[in-house]
Amino acid sequence: MKILIDLLRYNREFLLGSICIAIILALVVASFFAPYDEMMTYVVIPDMPPSAEYWLGTNSRGQDLFWQLAASMRNTLMFGVVVALVSRVIAIAVGLVSGYLGGRVDQVIMAINDTLNALPNIPILLLLVFVLRDQMSWPILAVTAALLGWQHDSRLIRSVALSLRNREFTRHAVFSGMRTGKILWREHLPYVMPIVFYTTMNNLIWAIGLEVTLSILGFSDINRPTIGGMIYWANAHSAMVAGIWWWIAVPMVFVVILFLGLFMLAMSVNEYIDPRSRLARMGA
Amino acid sequence: MRFLKTVAVAAVATLLALPAIAQDFIAGIPRNEALIIQGPTAQNADWFNIWAPGGGATTNGAQQLSADTFWFINPEGGANPWQNALATEPPIYNADFTEMTVKLRQGVYWSDGVEFTADDVVYTVQTLIDHPGMNWAAAFGVNVESVEAPDRDTVVFKLKAPNSRFHALFTVRWNAAWIMPKHIFEKVEDPLAYNFNPPVSLSAYVLHSYDKAGNWTIWKLRDDWQRTTIGMDWGQPQVKYVVYRAAGNPEARVIEQRNHNLDVINDITPEGMFSIMKDNPSAAAWLSGFPFAHPDPTLPSVLFNTKKAPFDNKDVRWALALLIDIRAVALGSYRGAANLSALATPPTGSAPDDYFVPMQDWLTNFELDTGTRKIKPYNPNIAEELAKMVRPQWGDQIPTDPERLKRTFGFGWWKQDVQAATELLQKAGFTKQGNRWMKPDGTPFTIRVQVEGDAIPTLARAGTAIAQQWSQAGIDAKVDVAGPTNGQRLGTGDFETAIFWTIETWGGHPDLSFFLDSYHSEFIKPVGEIQPPRNLQRWEDPRLDEIIERNRTVAFDAPEVKQLGQDFLKLAVEEMPMIPLMAYNKFAPFDTTYWTNYPSIDNPYSASGPFWSNIRYMVVSLKAATP
Amino acid sequence: MHGFLIYLTKRVGQFLFVVFTGVTLAFLIAHFSPVDPIEQTVALLTNFGSTDPRSVELLRQSLRELYGTDGSLLEQYFTFWSRVLTGDFGPSLSAFPTPVSTVIGRALPWTVGLLTLATLIAWTLGNLLGALAGYFRNNRALKAVGVFVMSMQPIPTYIVGLTLIIVFGYLWPVLPISGGAQLNLEPGFTWEYVSSVLVHGTLPALTLVCVGLGGWFISMRSLVSNIVTEDHVVYAELAGVPGRKVFSQYVARNAMLPQVTGLALTLGHVFGGAVIVEFVFNYPGVGKLLIAGIYAGDYSLVLGVTTIAIIAVAAAMLVIDVLYPLIDPRVKLG
Repeated sequence: MKILIDLLRYNREFLLGSICIAIILALVVASFFAPYDEMMTYVVIPDMPPSAEYWLGTNSRGQDLFWQLAASMRNTLMFGVVVALVSRVIAIAVGLVSGYLGGRVDQVIMAINDTLNALPNIPILLLLVFVLRDQMSWPILAVTAALLGWQHDSRLIRSVALSLRNREFTRHAVFSGMRTGKILWREHLPYVMPIVFYTTMNNLIWAIGLEVTLSILGFSDINRPTIGGMIYWANAHSAMVAGIWWWIAVPMVFVVILFLGLFMLAMSVNEYIDPRSRLARMGA
Repeated sequence: MRFLKTVAVAAVATLLALPAIAQDFIAGIPRNEALIIQGPTAQNADWFNIWAPGGGATTNGAQQLSADTFWFINPEGGANPWQNALATEPPIYNADFTEMTVKLRQGVYWSDGVEFTADDVVYTVQTLIDHPGMNWAAAFGVNVESVEAPDRDTVVFKLKAPNSRFHALFTVRWNAAWIMPKHIFEKVEDPLAYNFNPPVSLSAYVLHSYDKAGNWTIWKLRDDWQRTTIGMDWGQPQVKYVVYRAAGNPEARVIEQRNHNLDVINDITPEGMFSIMKDNPSAAAWLSGFPFAHPDPTLPSVLFNTKKAPFDNKDVRWALALLIDIRAVALGSYRGAANLSALATPPTGSAPDDYFVPMQDWLTNFELDTGTRKIKPYNPNIAEELAKMVRPQWGDQIPTDPERLKRTFGFGWWKQDVQAATELLQKAGFTKQGNRWMKPDGTPFTIRVQVEGDAIPTLARAGTAIAQQWSQAGIDAKVDVAGPTNGQRLGTGDFETAIFWTIETWGGHPDLSFFLDSYHSEFIKPVGEIQPPRNLQRWEDPRLDEIIERNRTVAFDAPEVKQLGQDFLKLAVEEMPMIPLMAYNKFAPFDTTYWTNYPSIDNPYSASGPFWSNIRYMVVSLKAATP
Repeated sequence: MHGFLIYLTKRVGQFLFVVFTGVTLAFLIAHFSPVDPIEQTVALLTNFGSTDPRSVELLRQSLRELYGTDGSLLEQYFTFWSRVLTGDFGPSLSAFPTPVSTVIGRALPWTVGLLTLATLIAWTLGNLLGALAGYFRNNRALKAVGVFVMSMQPIPTYIVGLTLIIVFGYLWPVLPISGGAQLNLEPGFTWEYVSSVLVHGTLPALTLVCVGLGGWFISMRSLVSNIVTEDHVVYAELAGVPGRKVFSQYVARNAMLPQVTGLALTLGHVFGGAVIVEFVFNYPGVGKLLIAGIYAGDYSLVLGVTTIAIIAVAAAMLVIDVLYPLIDPRVKLG
């Protein structure tokens, strides 16, 4: 707790990041108190620019953009977080093990890793959406995306782990009889944490970008409000050329806020858990 | 940071230099001699053989500008919708419709200087029959016993069975069987594998150049344009070059037209159309005021899969129709710019006079038995109600003349009547628990509403509005975006309800056989197998078969055709196998910067859809704009 | 030298394995696609024209024979491999009878050109700025650049593209917004054609650079800011090594390793990024081809594109792997 307060007081990035994330979280919380059913259309006057009555304006489907945004943020975040969590677990496990063991095992794992990585994501996802069709709900999509989205990061983690393998402290640990799992968990994981943090960022961006891409092509449940879904409907109504700019600007601005927030938090937290401070404590 | 400054200065300098590098849109062709039309992206741009299946390349001008056949029907109706092209007169049948004679025009030449004769026709039909993989081959194989040319200007078809609509194969509404150049194809070993490049033209334009990647195709007016049917009937065309080009997504199309790089647009969103009509002084449209749209002779409807319970019950189908507030659907799909139809035929072309006006009384007096009482569900004032809704936004642009209003917004539709729907559902054995409808077997009533999605956004929007209304009434309705699998799922019956069309008409002719013939029960396949096009609802009714069989034995222009058409429309109202919604309104603005005299509701001399072969009459009628 | 040969052999073997597995997987997935190419063609032919129901069945029959979709999965699989090995993916179903290799061959140069250029620009610029931002952590201008680049990055490619179209095609119409070159221009190494291609490629490339820049910037900055506090850098600084040398020799070089790995993977991921940009700008590349192929159910085309993609990615990785030891001597051969 004290650490948190100190961070807020002395680290401007942490403060700004927290504010951004707080805004987003407030939206998510607000989404549970929406006065309208988020799926309903034509509940308010369409095409109203942002005003005191409608803070973020209304869209051509007669929906209040504020409440649409709230629900979309909740759904999109949920998707992104599930993708990021699942793919992080896989990426870290594969990357550390492969990099630590090296040799033949490393080659086999990386061969599989590269094979999966070599498959272009977008066509595969599109094909899967075709195949699963009605059964394709967002959790399934999230898990599928996670299964496609870890190879890049595990390779990065592995390249760091590979160089850690030849470091002295690893050898010390091995000679002192530490179990492999423990070495990876206690000694190597802290080193890859910075990578994990910024790849989580990238992964979230990637996942949401994926959601947007699929939605723009019309391959998602278009009635479930998401950031991509908002843009899909805005496109379906030519919002850009029709002058309803706020319909596209709102999801864009808030996605930017979300990512700036995440980025700044990750950076400041990164500084705080800098592995060298731990290293110093362990006396290696 | 000096580095950053350098970058910033360089960026600004580049930006300022941009106008200097602007290039002509088309290289080497004066813009005021070219008409630019929105085309498809052709996967196989090298392919000009429109008689062999060739995926997409046929609609980038080949069938519109270089092909010809016996007859054309103007889908807009107009004063004289029937147009003789290669034939000099309408088809001549014998008494029992087993023989059709066609008289051909003289003095028509292919673009390589060879004269067109009856031999070309005979060769075409024979070649298509001999090569089953070719387009129209199957239709000829099924129908034609023999084809002969007694002299160079006459062709006689002997048919295997009576068929009073055989000439439809040679009558263009979108397209039809085109005539092949015998002197080219007879030298080809396999006409299926021949790319016909460069194509020899039988019409007024000939290929000038094309992009191998399929993004554009340019056609040039023939020097000997007089020696074509167009030259003979329509005089000298002013458009010298016709450019078919792929123009990207709807927003890009709006921008391209505003920059005067796209004269004819196939379709954009209603909002895009409104923005063009508001901001672009040089824009023109089918209707000069709201809703600007052009109604295609196609009828988007709520299709029911009548082989799936509970949609096999007409009371359920009627209940679902009465739960719809059509005004909300019109607003949601087309921003009010919809041309509604309660009858199962598009309210376009000649249909208003053939069917809608004569049947108003019948519709107004139509009674529906809800199980507890009889109601008259028809609302003939829907046009006025729609006009009232959009007048605040569009003011004077909305006509006040009631007749004009009806032809713009539709003659009428069903009143939303939740009470009657409730009674109908109860009659069908449904029960209401709290706010939810339960099927007779006690499970919740759920409906999947299938829509195509992005390629047809207005219908996806209509589906969303309808699903919402059903949900509000206590039915768990969900929209299902099928995307590219839409056609297949409709074909195999893998849907419950769908927003799509199974009715398309000639537009300019009262005969409904264009779609109706395939509604006969002999063509119905079990669910799971692929249903032939059109009757995707798999609607089966002995009375329907009777009408179809009778229509087959009546001549195309006989007065009884209209009577049979009315019988069909009445049956479709009673049975409600699909809920007709509206004409397929297309938002297709024209740019008048370089060309004028586009067709409009007041001058409906030709179709204007870029992919319709009938557009050729528009191309040759355009006048150069005088600045 | 001997060690390097063994290393090379192993990497080539891995390359072949990647290609084999990837192509097999892609083949299987493509065949699970419920979009039936024959029905798509039938629909194309019957959607608008007048058709006799009896004829459609006959048409379907003959198409099935033409397209060669008969035979068991295994037979089709072997046929496919023999085609891949001879560089012949059979006829494209949606562009029948044009061979898939011809269709892809036309589109490939556009995509490769656009993506190579855009990716290299984004990579160089992103890494340079990122490294500077990580090294000079208190520079205000760099911080501002960082915020700008960061806020650009999460914006979906589609929106960036559309915004550029609105700005440079609508509000201030100075750049072409669709196509690869002017209409009615013969391809060739003429000044007219090349300049037309460059002008038409500006907005698509700019979109990709805008979207790609941020990723490199972020990862480079955090890598550098980690390395800066590492012992050898601190020693170097204390030992009075000039700042420029510390930056290039001690910091940037070490940070390059993961970034080069990343570049290899990104260069291979050409297709994912291309899809939306080519879709928005109607650019005649492979991405647009892929979308069209998927929509048309043209699985010989989809498979062709996917196979090319897999081989390209594997090849890019092979090249980077071979160059790896040159950059980071700590990685032992073997």
